[in-house]
Amino acid sequence: MTENWMQRLVRWARRKSPWMLHFNSGGCNGCDIEILDLLTPRYDVERLGILAEASPRHADILLCTGPVTRQTRDRLRRIYEQMPAPKWVVSVGSCSCSGGVFQGGLNVLGGIDQVVPVDMYIPGCPCRPEAVIDGLARLLTKIA
Amino acid sequence: MDFEPVIAALQAAFPDVDLAPRAAPLDDTFVTIPAEGLRRAVTLLLEDWQLRHLSTITGLDTGEYVELLYHFWHTHGLTLRVTLPYAALRIASITDLIPGAAFYEREIVEMFAVTVDGLPDPRPFLLPDDWDGGAPLRKGV
Amino acid sequence: MTKVTIPIGPQHPLLKEPLSFLLTVEGEQVLESTLRLGYVHRGIERLCQERTYVQAVHLIERVCGICSHIHTTTYCQGVEALSGLQVPPRGLYLRTFLCELERIHSHLLWLGVLAKNMGFDTVFMYAWRDREIVLDVMEELSGGRISHAVNVIGGVRIDLDAAHTRSIQQRFDELERQVEKALALINNEPSLKARTQGVGLLSAEQVARYCVVGPVARASGVDVDLRRDFPRPPYDQLKFNVITHPAGDVWARTLVRVQEIRESLSLCRQILAQLPDGPTSVAMKRRVPPGEVVSRSEAPRGEVIYYIRSDGSDKPARLKIRTPTLTALITLADQLRGVNVADVPVVLSGVDLCIACADR
Repeated sequence: MTENWMQRLVRWARRKSPWMLHFNSGGCNGCDIEILDLLTPRYDVERLGILAEASPRHADILLCTGPVTRQTRDRLRRIYEQMPAPKWVVSVGSCSCSGGVFQGGLNVLGGIDQVVPVDMYIPGCPCRPEAVIDGLARLLTKIA
Repeated sequence: MDFEPVIAALQAAFPDVDLAPRAAPLDDTFVTIPAEGLRRAVTLLLEDWQLRHLSTITGLDTGEYVELLYHFWHTHGLTLRVTLPYAALRIASITDLIPGAAFYEREIVEMFAVTVDGLPDPRPFLLPDDWDGGAPLRKGV
Repeated sequence: MTKVTIPIGPQHPLLKEPLSFLLTVEGEQVLESTLRLGYVHRGIERLCQERTYVQAVHLIERVCGICSHIHTTTYCQGVEALSGLQVPPRGLYLRTFLCELERIHSHLLWLGVLAKNMGFDTVFMYAWRDREIVLDVMEELSGGRISHAVNVIGGVRIDLDAAHTRSIQQRFDELERQVEKALALINNEPSLKARTQGVGLLSAEQVARYCVVGPVARASGVDVDLRRDFPRPPYDQLKFNVITHPAGDVWARTLVRVQEIRESLSLCRQILAQLPDGPTSVAMKRRVPPGEVVSRSEAPRGEVIYYIRSDGSDKPARLKIRTPTLTALITLADQLRGVNVADVPVVLSGVDLCIACADR
């Protein structure tokens, strides 16, 4: 299917400014502080056009950490549904990929792919910022 | 503050019971008090000895009964041990004496199915509102 | 005016972790607030009972990502006491070195998050940039920036040589300069003072009633610090000041924490200078003799307490964890009463929430 110039422009813009929303669905915080570290001078993902957004409605990418617990399952689903299409979900850290060390915990349901469709899995416990940047960069090639 | 006079005062408040003080590693002493004497013991610690810092309340299921441990601390540790038989899982709340105990008592209620009389806010604390899996830290659940 | 209920969380730009506040607001003033925890409850205490003592170390490290080392330190301290293991002095010094490094990283992290939630992004960037120095040192020592896996039951599994020590001391010089700048900023910057002074007040009496611990207690003038009051080796050989401040507001908490970074840097230097020779760990037996122990230590947020009961097998019969954030959370209802809605982020950030710790 050939694109017109408008669609090419939108695709270029989407690749150059993927805005992310971070949600912790029950993790220990290790991956969250490494994601927050991405915004700080050493890793500085803003040079990739990535901004951390406050509202699901402004975000293209949902960066999710932590295993899904019973209480966060519905919230995660609702946040995903509030994001406007096209949207992508990145599962950061071993816990959100599969439940990690907490598999079998009494409140833990497992990885986030039980609740939302995941486009990129980035394992690690916790996930290094370099790994998150690598995963996001690969996702961007998938996006556009 | 040395704890020997404190333990002696506690023993004097329960003359019919042997508190059986036992030293534990890392500078703690465990005394066993009867369940109905909890408030009396805590009031004594607060008023006569200004022992106000309650670190936490531990619950555990030994398989034969439920134990509640009230961990106090002031330069040394003092733990009050209360045993509750399965048939009588009730204990009085100490939240009016120590407001900081509220969260710890709520956790005991939901994790061990113990009734805490006088607890101002008995809602679930950590477990979801629709939890139906029983008291998670009880044996056999 | 009508009353409005504003939910904060579970997903909220302020919160890095899910928890739920419901604020009842009339006009601009908060009347009441209720708190719902449990979103991050993973049932760690029960999971630990299904694992051996050694496997539990790996799980306990992940109670919280920010203060992972102090959790394993407190746990290992308890199991070592039950087993009658004497950790060699070098192991204790190295363990404490990581504890103090973790305190520095946690306080710098908190400073950045407080500033970010106030809209002061510059301080967020500076604090987290300087925090990278500490994370680099921790990574060189252990292989991990956040989760170090340094503690084993019986000691530590890392070591330092003289060249590495010199390199660390040089980086500490740079960090010290940056911390002095941060302290000057907190003392002099009018916008920061205007937003944090008089906000989130807690009196010493409230601290005693709610059994609050850590910097929140010290910032209300209460002089408690387990490193001095329950000095496990090597704290009995090291000199440091316990920082308190009488004001009881968020500004006092900021001052206390940043000055604590300075004290921790001094402790780290003393540890490196006094590091004794010898092995770093002793072997543990698989089974722990029956008994019970209450293990306490001073985490970045205050007193963390572990109760461990052993029944003679290789699995703990009961492991109970109480983290310091719970003591701060119970005061939030009082702190939020009567504040402006615009001050809510500062109040919430001022207590240094770590919900993963609180929920376990």
